[in-house]
Amino acid sequence: MRITDRVFGVLLLILAVTYGYEATKFPIPFGGQESVGPETFPILLSIILAIGSIYMIVKPDEDAKWPAVSMLIELGIVCLVLVLFAFGLEYVGFVLSATPAVAFLCWRMGATPGKSLLTGAITSVVIYVLFTRVLELALPSGILGL
Amino acid sequence: MGTIELLMQGFAVALSPESIMFALIGAILGTLIGALPGLGPANGVAILIPLAFSLGLSPTSSLILLTSVYAGAMYGGRISSILLNIPGDEPAMMTCLDGYPMAVKGKAAEALATSAIASFIGSFIATIGLVILAPILAKFALKFGPAEYFALFALAFATLGGITGKNQFKTLIAAALGLMIATVGIDISSGVQRFTYNSLHLFEGIDFLIAIVGLFAISELFFFLEQHAGDGLKQVALNKLKLTAKDILFVLPASLRGALLGFVSGVLPGAGASLGSFVSYTLEKKVSDTGEFGKGDPRGVAAPEAGNNGAASGALVPMLTLGVPGSGTTAVLLAMLISLNVNPGPMLFQQSPDLVWGVIAALFVGNLVLLLLNIPMVGVFVKLLSIPPKYLMPIVTLIASVGIFSITGSAIDLYFMVGFGIMGYVLRKVEIPLVPVILGMLLGPEMEKNLRHALVLSDGDWTVLWSSGLSIGLWVVALAGLILPMVFGKVLRSKMKRSKDSSAA
Repeated sequence: MRITDRVFGVLLLILAVTYGYEATKFPIPFGGQESVGPETFPILLSIILAIGSIYMIVKPDEDAKWPAVSMLIELGIVCLVLVLFAFGLEYVGFVLSATPAVAFLCWRMGATPGKSLLTGAITSVVIYVLFTRVLELALPSGILGL
Repeated sequence: MGTIELLMQGFAVALSPESIMFALIGAILGTLIGALPGLGPANGVAILIPLAFSLGLSPTSSLILLTSVYAGAMYGGRISSILLNIPGDEPAMMTCLDGYPMAVKGKAAEALATSAIASFIGSFIATIGLVILAPILAKFALKFGPAEYFALFALAFATLGGITGKNQFKTLIAAALGLMIATVGIDISSGVQRFTYNSLHLFEGIDFLIAIVGLFAISELFFFLEQHAGDGLKQVALNKLKLTAKDILFVLPASLRGALLGFVSGVLPGAGASLGSFVSYTLEKKVSDTGEFGKGDPRGVAAPEAGNNGAASGALVPMLTLGVPGSGTTAVLLAMLISLNVNPGPMLFQQSPDLVWGVIAALFVGNLVLLLLNIPMVGVFVKLLSIPPKYLMPIVTLIASVGIFSITGSAIDLYFMVGFGIMGYVLRKVEIPLVPVILGMLLGPEMEKNLRHALVLSDGDWTVLWSSGLSIGLWVVALAGLILPMVFGKVLRSKMKRSKDSSAA
């Protein structure tokens, strides 16, 4: 099967067309229209991307090995954890948001829950102290207020 | 001022106690980064840039620190090639051929020491080449007008896939994607908002550091998770080092040949370190094989290592003089320069000679530090290699996030980082290379600026882009770089694969 490249070729073609179309809609810059404007280069790019994506559709490579659905869900959860970590930074502070995030990643990579939690806690505290005290880089302390 | 005087001034900068300290820290960090499975030089430098940046180091100090990291990562890469039979990055592939058999035969320490010496010779000779060639090329590049620059950038993209590139159209797609990301934000010359959708955060465009860390480091994390590679791999034990002067003399000619070949292929657009180590190995095999190659001949370790490191320093020639990097890691180094407000190109040699020559001198110092550091301390690095990725990757991810967070202190950048991670994962699955994406983001603004200058001067006449002899020449090389791999790429790749397979069998 050579379906992956075809699907992505179509997606990229859609991107190329949308991007190029958006570029033609740019407002005319202050000072009037010139022979080259902000839209010239983007339009050139959309043509190049379109050529590349059409080639992908016409002459696709062998399919990549995609992981099982369960693995894709797991990767989705990992992304969610990373986003939650970023979100939590500003509210509960660095240590409290980094500990669970690192622990979760260790656990999903195959460490035991206990060791994961330990790694998470130690790394977060060490990095926090290292960056805020030694390297003087501000990381949010959050509700712990250290 | 002559080159020698400038270089001496560079040494004065590079030999100050502060610089030596940064070179030492950089060399150690770099070796670690290169040695750790799944990180690789490009990744490591990318993670460290925002940190060096936010620590408020001076441009010279950051440059010395990160150049040493770069040099160190090249050294570190060979440790996993020899002990695990897993190349840290593509150019290290050829080192596995004889390095791993040597390690299996109980000569792991000798293999590591041989490769350290060969790496040093490779870098040393190539840095001398850099000193000679770079000022000449920089002077020549002063002749370039906007049209020539535009052609040069096109050439950089066309040859990036390299002669061994698989699918040229995918390189093209990747480059277009990167350039497209670069157009997001307020257009510098007209003030028009492009693709910002009125989001304040997008007005300044997307920081390429976020993209680099996301595309490389975060997508690597996803791959590790997918492959359940958390436990690491079994490695060959390290023996006690027994290396005599005779052994060093034995590999010296191989190292010298490798270094020269590597340097040449590093300078040439599109050849790169992979080809450098491949050519060095093949030539060495032709010249001095007595049936031992592939079974653990020290010369088979020395030649590709010297070639690999020679090419890494050689790649700095086009990067520093033209602002056009030839490989993933040099692209990341370019990112570092741009974030320090240093614009590589011919003018760099005139405007800030202290900086350029300081960096070149730092390369010499860094390599010497590395050699002195590597032979006695290789045991420590090997120990660190045995930290399983299941603990290491999460920690690296955290440090990378801290670096990104410190650029603007906003969580939005981290969301973007995760987004780029997903993009990197998908692109790698579809086999669209990531380096052109990064390069597109880095070169996009300059490329567009030059295109517009050229077209404004000619009043919209596109033929100006190929009207001078120089620009025609550049276009021809670019086209050749795009088309030749389609013809010869298959043959070369199967050759590289065959030599790897036959040694594994």
